[in-house]
This record gives sequence, structure tokens and C-alpha cells, in this order.
Amino acid sequence: MEYFVQQLINGITLGGVYALVALGYTMVYGIIQLINFAHGEFFAAGGYMGVIMLTWLSAQGVPPTLCLALSLILTMGYCALLATAVEKVAYKPLRNSSRLSVLLSALGMSIFLQNGLMLTQGVYDKAYPTEMTQGGLHFGMVTLSYMQIIIVVVTAVLLVGLNALVFRTRIGKAMRATAQDKTMSALVGINSGRIITITFAIGAGLAAAAGIMVGLYYGSVRYDMGFVPGIKAFAAAVLGGIGNITGAMLGGFIIGMVEIMAAGYLSSEYKDVFAFIILIAVLYFMPTGIMGENVDDTRV
Amino acid sequence: MNRIVLKVLSLALAVLLAAPAAALAADALKIGTLSPLTGPYAADGNDIANGVRAAVEVVKDQGGIPGYKDIVVQAEDSICDPRQAVAAANKLINEKVPAVVGAYCSSATIPASEALAEVDIVMITPASTSEKVTERGLKYMFRTCGRDDDQSKVAIKFIKEFLKGGTVYIVDDKTTYSQGLADNLEKLANAQGVKVLGHEHVNQGDKDFSAVLTKVKAANPAVFYVSLQNSASGALMLIQAKRMGITAKILAQDAVYHPQLMEIAKDAAEGVFLTFGFIDRETPAYKTFYAKYQPKYGEPGAYSAYSYDSAMAYLMAVKAVGSTDPAKIREAMLKNKFQGASKKINYLESGDSGSNYIIQMVKGGKFTNYWNPETNKLY
Repeated sequence: MEYFVQQLINGITLGGVYALVALGYTMVYGIIQLINFAHGEFFAAGGYMGVIMLTWLSAQGVPPTLCLALSLILTMGYCALLATAVEKVAYKPLRNSSRLSVLLSALGMSIFLQNGLMLTQGVYDKAYPTEMTQGGLHFGMVTLSYMQIIIVVVTAVLLVGLNALVFRTRIGKAMRATAQDKTMSALVGINSGRIITITFAIGAGLAAAAGIMVGLYYGSVRYDMGFVPGIKAFAAAVLGGIGNITGAMLGGFIIGMVEIMAAGYLSSEYKDVFAFIILIAVLYFMPTGIMGENVDDTRV
Repeated sequence: MNRIVLKVLSLALAVLLAAPAAALAADALKIGTLSPLTGPYAADGNDIANGVRAAVEVVKDQGGIPGYKDIVVQAEDSICDPRQAVAAANKLINEKVPAVVGAYCSSATIPASEALAEVDIVMITPASTSEKVTERGLKYMFRTCGRDDDQSKVAIKFIKEFLKGGTVYIVDDKTTYSQGLADNLEKLANAQGVKVLGHEHVNQGDKDFSAVLTKVKAANPAVFYVSLQNSASGALMLIQAKRMGITAKILAQDAVYHPQLMEIAKDAAEGVFLTFGFIDRETPAYKTFYAKYQPKYGEPGAYSAYSYDSAMAYLMAVKAVGSTDPAKIREAMLKNKFQGASKKINYLESGDSGSNYIIQMVKGGKFTNYWNPETNKLY
């Protein structure tokens, strides 16, 4: 039982990280039907910016808790700006060309950003200052580390915040309208170009939050760290029904949980296999994913 | 007038085209390196390339090699990937390199060596410890580091005789090297009455080990044996193991041995044991190496000294025979016994040079010699 509870905690932590990254994929896809291959790179950039901010702020004598919160906010802001710039350079000029061109542009951006990180930050793993997040709570055999609590709390806050933004505010309404019909929403006075940029920025901000938490949790970052979680999160977004925000959260948690449970009860050798078997099985019976709606071609 | 201008211009062009070729062709001795310069194993890979560079610089300082105006190092990237390693080996073949120091991962060294063997290029691996590397009858394959069968013997001896641990849990990450070593240890443990509570495999590049570590914790072994291909993943595993409250003694191996381990894992690395070759830092050879290496490339990594010695052994052989003829080089290398920076080098017929594994421990953020398996005593 204790073993199961421990694995459950591990699964929720990992799932939270995937969910945050998956949201970016799904939001961008929902609004312009683009699979943003460069999304994993915002996650990596967030990881690096996080370590820079943390080191700098703690050198200025900022107390640890404030230091963590500030770094998180600044890093998210930085990655949102980065995403805005990427969108302006690589996607905006292709707004009216075929979807394949945008896809290739995204792929190119991914390679560019990853190699940029490698050249500026080096090929080695960069260590995170982990002193401020050591330790945890022990209940018998079960360990709940402070870092796991931080990850779950931050993920929950961001997910609730995002839901409120999309379903309760004017910007959210405009985002949903643009996702439904770009031309029509433009006709009723929504600046769809700006809305698309904002969507990119929010998605990248969430990925950056995941990046900094992964850095803190695992203790280091590397320039190519965006690739594997990027693929997993993309799978999570597809599993949940790409384009659907609640679906992406659900998909993230399912993939994380399946991975941990497969590793915990079967063999960690096959954890990725099981994660993707679940994906294939779900898509076989529900081709649009768990929460995905049937989108007819005229709308895409 | 126009004609003269044209002639001058074409002459200038000809000089321009001929110049780089001439500069290279003037009897430079080339030595290739093959190691992961990018990707997850870049730290060890660059150590290997830099070790060779340091050796070449030392030889040049001592007046170079008679008959050669220069010694040039050509470093190629294997990324620790079998396909990439073969491609890089082919590139070195095209460049007509007579000898290659490398590679790092045994799973890259083995296919690369087969390509190099076809054209009789000498290959000296400073770091690939899998037994298979020198057991394929390749005439020009040498190894400066130790062998995994010896390494696992020292590991099991340490577990049994020093730690007096009756149970062990093994985790590897499925490369020719890391799994080979883990399998060796499992066999020895079973044969010698140490109970193996579990043997798990993780994937290369995994960051999250929480599931497998929960298993380890539940099994509660006396010794937790970590056989990963890389010090960075080793560091991640140590951090998570500490956080999870695993109290077993942790024993790792030579691929986890790198200063990066303590850089990332910090105090989670304290008290971790590793099997690694004994390095005597007081020999003149080590001091020469260190004086050349450290200012330019930073603190030596796990295999810097081995790579330095590999290049040294080859350069000494070229000096002795006066050419790069592989058959003569082999003879000279077998004959030459010398005190290197890493250990006493003495290549055998098989290409191996003997193992001298001991147990090292992380203490105060540094690797320290801890236990000598020959004498069963602490250092």
C-alpha cells in the first residue's frame, strides 16, 4: 500500500510537468492548427533562464522563497517574450501559406533554438542550486519531498489560472472565438493576430514554468532536455484530444501516471512502451482523443 | 598590360589554392580522436580529445618527432552512437589518419574499430572497458583502461569482504558497457552467495528515476549498485535517491566517475563508492600531464590521463620505428613498457594493458582512494 502511494506521488509529480508542457502544444494547435515543434525548446530555455535567475537573485541576497517565486515569474516572462519573437520571425509571415510550410518553419526553429542553447550555454549539464529545496516529509515508508509539493502546487495554481483566463475573461473569449473561426472573429472586431501571439506567449510561459521546476527537481539542465519531454507532452496533448485544454491536463497526468506505474509494477525498461501503447489504444477507439470533439473539415 | 595583370591574378589564385594543401602535406603526423564531443557524454568525450591534445603538446615541447615537421590532432565526434561512430571513423579513414585514440562508449568503439581494422588503422581506446573490445582478434586494437570483468570482480569483493553486504540491488541503463558490467556483477553475486534483490534497466537519457528508486527502497538492499553510462545521469540518480531516503551503500563504476558528479549532485554524492583505476598523482608522468592539461583544459576528467597515455604510447612508438607502418608500430607498442600518467602501461598480445581497479570514495567533494582490493586495506 505504501509502495502504491509512493508511486502515486511520483506519478502525479511527473504528470504535472507533462501537463504544463502539453498545454502549450494544445493551445497553439487549438488556435492555428500548428504543431509547434519548437515548444520543447521553450521548456529548455526556461530551465536555463531559471538557473541564471536563481543564481543571480540568491547572489543579491534575496531570501530563498522570494527568490524561487521571482525566478519563476521572471523566467515565465522571458520565455513568453522569446515565444513572441519566435512567432513574429518564424510563424507570422507564414500566416496565410500552407500548413506544411509553418510546420517546417517550426521544425527549423526547434533546431535553431536547441543549437543556440548549445552554443551559448555549452554541451555540459548545468547544475541547479538545490540547497533551498532539499528535504521532505516522511510518512512511514512514504516520502513526499518539498520539491514534489512545490511542483504540484505550482502546477495546480497555473492550471486553475489558465482555466480562469480562458473561460472567464475577455481575452479568453477572444481566444476561443479565434480558435473557432479566425475570419469571423476578425469581422466582429477581434484582433486575431494579437490573440494568436498572446496564445503563443502563454503556452511558452507554462513550458518555462515546467522547465524551471524540472531543473529544481532533478538538479540539472542540459541544452537538449526539451526533446524527450516535448514528445511525451505532445503525446499527452494528442491523448487528451489536441486543441482541448482540459484534455491536455488530463493527458499529461495519464501519461505521467502510466509511465511511473509501468516502471513501478512491471519494468522501467518498458515504461515508454506502455505510455505509447495507451496512446495508441485510446486513439484507436477514440480517434480525436479523450476530450477531443469531432471537428469537421470546414472549420480546420 | 591587361595580360600581365591577368597573369599576376591567376598566379595569386594558384598560390591561394596551393597554400593550405602545401601546409598540410609537409610531413605532418596526424592522429585522430573519436569521442562524443556533443550530446549527453560530451564531458567525457572532450576530456578524451583534450588528453590527446595535451600529449601532442608535450611531445612537441620536447622537440617533436624526427621526420615529422608537425603533429596534428583531428578530433571527430562519435556522439556515443554506433552509426555516428562508424561515419566518423570513415571520415578519419578518408583523411588518411594512421592512428585513432577513442572511442568512449564500448557500443561505439566496437563498430568503429571494425571499419578502422579493414584499412589497418591503429586504434587505442582510453575508456571502453567492455571485454568484447579486445576479444575480437583485431590486430591493431589496444586498450589503455581496464576491463569490466576485472572491474566487477573488485566490486563484488568490496561488497562481500569490506561492506559485508548480503544483498544488492542493481540498476543499469542498457548499453553494451553498462549492462555488460551489471550482468557480470549479477553473475558473480549469485555465484558468491550475495543475494540479488532486483536488476532493473532504465533508459539512456531518463531524468526521472522515482519509480525505480521506490522499488529499491522497498527492497531495502545492503548495497545499491549503479551502473549508468554517464556521470550526469548518475548525479540525478544520487539526488533522487537521497531525497527518497535510500540508506543503502551506493556503489557505482568508472563511467559515473567524473568531477561533474559532485558538481551536480553536491552533498548527495558524499560517501558514494566507485570502482576506478588507481591513479598515482605523485609520479613525474602525472605531474607533466597535469601541468600541461590543467591550465588549458581545466581539471582532468575520468579519462583524460588514459587518453593522454594512449596518445603518448602511439607517439613513442612512431618515434621508435620512424614511420607509421602499423605492423612495426604494434611491435614497438608491445615492447614499450613505461610509467604513464594513469598507470604503468604494458600492452599485452591481446591489446589489453591490465586492470588496476580499486575502490574510490567521494569525500569532501573529491574522489579519494579508499580501499585496496589486493591487500583488503584502506588507503
